[in-house]
Amino acid sequence: MTTVEEALPVGDARNGDKSDPLVGAIPRRRGQWLTLGAYLATIFVLITVNFALPRMMPGDPIDALMAFGSPNYVTDDETRANLAAYYDLDDPVPEQYVGYLTSLAQGDLGVSIVSNVPVHKELGGRVGWSFLLIVTAILISILIGIPTGIHSGWKRGRGLDRGLLTFFLSVQNLPIFFVGSVVLVVFSAKLGIFPLGGATTPFNEYSGIQEVLDIGRHLALPALLMGLEFATYEYLVMRSSMVAELGSDYLMGGRAKGLRERRLKYRYAGRNALLPVVTVIGLQFSLAVTGIIFIEQIFSFPGVGGYMFEAVATRDYPAMQGAFLVLTITVVTSNFLVDVLNRRLDPRTVA
Amino acid sequence: MVGLVIILVLIVVALLAPWLVPYDPAAITGDAFERPSSTHLLGTNDAGSDIFSRLLWGTRTTLIVGSIATALVLVIGIALGLTAGLRGGFIDSFVMRLVDVFLALPVLPLLIFIAALAGPSLTVSILMIGLFAWPQTARIVRNQTLSLRTRGFVDIARGFGAGPVHVMRRHLIPALGPVIAANLVFVAGLAITIEAGLSFIGLGDPAAVSWGADLNRALSDPQIYIGPLWLWWLLPPGLALTVTVLGLTFIGVALEPRFNPRWNRSERSRSVAPPATAIPAPDAAGR
Repeated sequence: MTTVEEALPVGDARNGDKSDPLVGAIPRRRGQWLTLGAYLATIFVLITVNFALPRMMPGDPIDALMAFGSPNYVTDDETRANLAAYYDLDDPVPEQYVGYLTSLAQGDLGVSIVSNVPVHKELGGRVGWSFLLIVTAILISILIGIPTGIHSGWKRGRGLDRGLLTFFLSVQNLPIFFVGSVVLVVFSAKLGIFPLGGATTPFNEYSGIQEVLDIGRHLALPALLMGLEFATYEYLVMRSSMVAELGSDYLMGGRAKGLRERRLKYRYAGRNALLPVVTVIGLQFSLAVTGIIFIEQIFSFPGVGGYMFEAVATRDYPAMQGAFLVLTITVVTSNFLVDVLNRRLDPRTVA
Repeated sequence: MVGLVIILVLIVVALLAPWLVPYDPAAITGDAFERPSSTHLLGTNDAGSDIFSRLLWGTRTTLIVGSIATALVLVIGIALGLTAGLRGGFIDSFVMRLVDVFLALPVLPLLIFIAALAGPSLTVSILMIGLFAWPQTARIVRNQTLSLRTRGFVDIARGFGAGPVHVMRRHLIPALGPVIAANLVFVAGLAITIEAGLSFIGLGDPAAVSWGADLNRALSDPQIYIGPLWLWWLLPPGLALTVTVLGLTFIGVALEPRFNPRWNRSERSRSVAPPATAIPAPDAAGR
């Protein structure tokens, strides 16, 4: 139960050992080791699924490699046999699996069928852009979601809260690809405020500040859209967490002391309510991966999501597998890190 | 209430579609890119098919996906959730571990992967959506079951010799009804959005008339950026999708049991959980 002293939240006295930055990161108890194990197990499952799925599909693995109807489809038997030998497909499956794991450990993700470039090279350039997009989107979402959430929670049921709640709930339900398409047509094509796509103006010779501005213009719409999508979750969690804070004693104590409402609202209640939102922000990566596939496609943004989309469109299976692995491992890892962070920030959640 | 009206309209249109559509949605009935007129209420698309007919026919795909996927999730989620809640012990922790693993997976990349490999089709889409959407329902069911167990009637019924199935059927499921209903409405919205999303990427059933697929076609055509074409080609399917999902959300919000956080100042409780269905975790895919 909270006493008045420990409830006044100036400085995080809840956190036990602040001298060791690794508190919570290194598993201290059995429960935490289990989580690490679960994380590694999930990664392993994903890697195996990545390997097994094309082989489980009906038809020849060569069929799975080069889909019927694609320009790479091979009908000649002898060529097929050669291909099978090349890809080690005539080895027994366990041997293939070992080979797959070994190349994976070396960072070899196969070669793209469409472009004949190693997948990890193609992905390398893309990851940077996606990362930029996601980080910008998260920053925007924090700016949009948290202050509104605090205000809404503080004023629950009255005034701006009702409007904000309706707004964010509605936005949450809009299919992002639809909104993205409309925004692209209206703001880029019709009004010409933003470019039609891509991350930079092609063939530009900008440098320095001009280059930054150019990237910014291209980044604006996609990041804004994704940020808005994230913001809805952050808003809802922030609001609900604020509401839970409202019954706390320290607010009564603060008012008795004569603190102004605004100060109570932001510096005390808001700060305390922030914890679940931090978790949510960490979990945005999971949402980001979904949104990124659509947004990058619509805005032709050269990121991993767009790469996966192109790979799907051309049935380029090695590329698809590579992108799939990168995306899913990112999500699982970020979830795990959020878990670790949670332990550090709030010892109450330790198993 | 508004939500209910929207969904009812959707169902009626879907059922009556064969009689309501002025033209066969898949047939070429006019020149390409015709403007809206009395013959084609929303004009024609790039192939010459009537957009309005496609809009109406799309309700059928939406309804099929929504209902079947939700039914699948219902069956799996309730079965697993009830069993876990009732039996407890090892089965409970096993099912919960399974739920955690599934919830940790990013669903959309997996769906895309499977759809691309298995070949796009409506059955595959529905099956996969059902397969990935059950964990949240199962968890909710299991939690409710656990809390219901603490009320004596389960033990009393067992004391009278009722088998577990009987207990489930006559006592638990009716009590679980409201919670499940609220959750299922949310699941239906999710299923519809995922199906539209998959179609938008190009992995939907090519034979089905889907709003997502129409959006994809509209956006792929360079002419969409020129002139007012987007008003009647891009907007209607997207708006239909939005309205449908919004309708479902309104119903869900209205149905949801009220786990009110304590607003009373004298209450010290800080560990209040937000309502189970109001704040879907960011792991919900397809959004």
